[in-house]
Amino acid sequence: MADSVVFGPGFWGPIIATASMLLIAGAGYLLILASRRISPRRPTSEKLTTYACGEDVSPSQTRPDAEFFFSPIRRVFRPFYRYIGAKHTGELSLYVWWVLIGALVLVVLTAHGLGVL
Amino acid sequence: MIPHAPILAVFLPLLAAFVLPLVSLLERRYKIPLAKEWVSAIFVIAEVMVVFSVFPDAKSSVVAYQLGGWAPPLGIVLAIDALSALAALIIVTVGALVFIYSFIYMRRESGVEHYYALLFLLLGGCVGVVFTGDIFNFYVFFEIMSIASYALVAFRRHLWGIEAAIKYLIVGSLGTSFILLGIVFLYGRFGTLTMANIMELMGQVAARDLVIPLTCFLVGIGIKVAMVPFHFWLPDAYQGAPSPVSAFFSGATATVGVYAIARIVYVLFGAASVGSLLVVLGLITMVVGALMALVQRDLKRLLAYSGISQMGYVLVGLGLGTALGIQGALFHIFNNAVYKTLLFMLVGAVIWRVGTSRMDELGGLWKNMPITAFMFLLGSLAIAGIPPLNGFASKWMIYLAGIEYGGWGYVVTAIALIVSALTLAYFLKALSSVFLGQRPSHLANVKEPPAAMLLPAMVLAVLCVVFGVLPQLGVDLVEPAQRAISDLNGYIVGVMGG
Repeated sequence: MADSVVFGPGFWGPIIATASMLLIAGAGYLLILASRRISPRRPTSEKLTTYACGEDVSPSQTRPDAEFFFSPIRRVFRPFYRYIGAKHTGELSLYVWWVLIGALVLVVLTAHGLGVL
Repeated sequence: MIPHAPILAVFLPLLAAFVLPLVSLLERRYKIPLAKEWVSAIFVIAEVMVVFSVFPDAKSSVVAYQLGGWAPPLGIVLAIDALSALAALIIVTVGALVFIYSFIYMRRESGVEHYYALLFLLLGGCVGVVFTGDIFNFYVFFEIMSIASYALVAFRRHLWGIEAAIKYLIVGSLGTSFILLGIVFLYGRFGTLTMANIMELMGQVAARDLVIPLTCFLVGIGIKVAMVPFHFWLPDAYQGAPSPVSAFFSGATATVGVYAIARIVYVLFGAASVGSLLVVLGLITMVVGALMALVQRDLKRLLAYSGISQMGYVLVGLGLGTALGIQGALFHIFNNAVYKTLLFMLVGAVIWRVGTSRMDELGGLWKNMPITAFMFLLGSLAIAGIPPLNGFASKWMIYLAGIEYGGWGYVVTAIALIVSALTLAYFLKALSSVFLGQRPSHLANVKEPPAAMLLPAMVLAVLCVVFGVLPQLGVDLVEPAQRAISDLNGYIVGVMGG
């Protein structure tokens, strides 16, 4: 087992890595600038308008819902949200129950950890 | 070290808490502008100087300060090793920055003198917990810290703040009762309250006699660090409290909780064998926190759940029990204090200007608040563990510790990596919802907060970068604390004498 970790020196030391990342980010930004020069933006009023089904949509209506922002991840973890997420109700009695249940489970696990069980 | 620094570090904030209401009376009577702010600043600066003066001595040996000249185990002793010193350093640094931030943030509130008094009580309680070498005093300071916390959550007397404070009070009191019960068991068994003396006698006791006291401590401290399933109080409390208080909780109080786990489980009980239990609880805490953060509509609740998730990393690192794992955990709690305090300050800045933290009502604020937005981006990337920021360095150490452990350590590292990706996901959501996208028309005139509010956040943002680009600074900072956790004999000799 290692006593500690040594960050750098060496080729992948943090300063070299940071400089490389900044360099790559800078190069990426230059590419964007170059692409704008080759293909300049030509905004029109129609392009700048948000619309759906032929109707103009106001900025406040174009916002994604914060709760469902990552709905695919929600679907993947559906059992979690159904059985555990739903327990976060804000009810104090439920909080206290969880503390007591957690304490009982911890007694067993601690006993196991200390080699008693 | 400044003479009598250990007792001064505990006494100064408590003194400030009692002096401030008097200063406020004088301020009103003699029309002295900003008197309580100046007095608070003086006390905070003095506290920082005192704690920083202890650090060099405590790094290499245990600083034992006997109260009234009474030697332990008869007398009460303040015992400061590298672990205590590191925790105190984090607490007072976060505390000082939160005070500076509060001078502007709280000026719209009434009864601010009570706010500062409570904040000093909280600070004194935190420093007391990490400095004391007496287990009953540990409980007393823990209670001071907790009671001040309950009052601060309810400070604004909003309905939700009071509700959150009552929940926190009941669950927190349950936690401190468990701690007291654990102390009663220990005292009944060993007949002493000095931690070093208990450690000396610990070897004479059968493991089965330690199950209940250790569980009592784990539950009590588990509530404070919001370890799943004891975490329910935290999102309500963080949301209900004023933002500077949430910032202090996430930076300093969380550090006290982690300190307590390290001190009680590893040092007092010497129970490294329950490490795998901490790893399992840490993994559950990490995953539950991240998945709950993902679906929040309120920025402060999102940050609160992310705090729970980050605490999971710390528990995993501590639980792995290797030098690398413990160093990673300690470095991560330092980093967590830096970026969580930063993020809460920035969310506070948004609330201060806009009046809400509901993400569905915000958007497009990058143009109005570019400095705040940029620092929020930095903090978000840091907490998600993106290089070259500080969160990456400590998470990297925890990943390496998992791999080095072998066997199920690989699974631990894999889960930790997935949770990091989830962390990035929900912080990108927060960034997108608040600072990017279309700006609602009523937010067109929003401005940056005053410089005095941004300054403490800037300090923390700089620390995110510095400890990311130069992570060895962080490793060097936490290494003595990790050695102190492993050197039980050194602590006993340092406190009880040869």
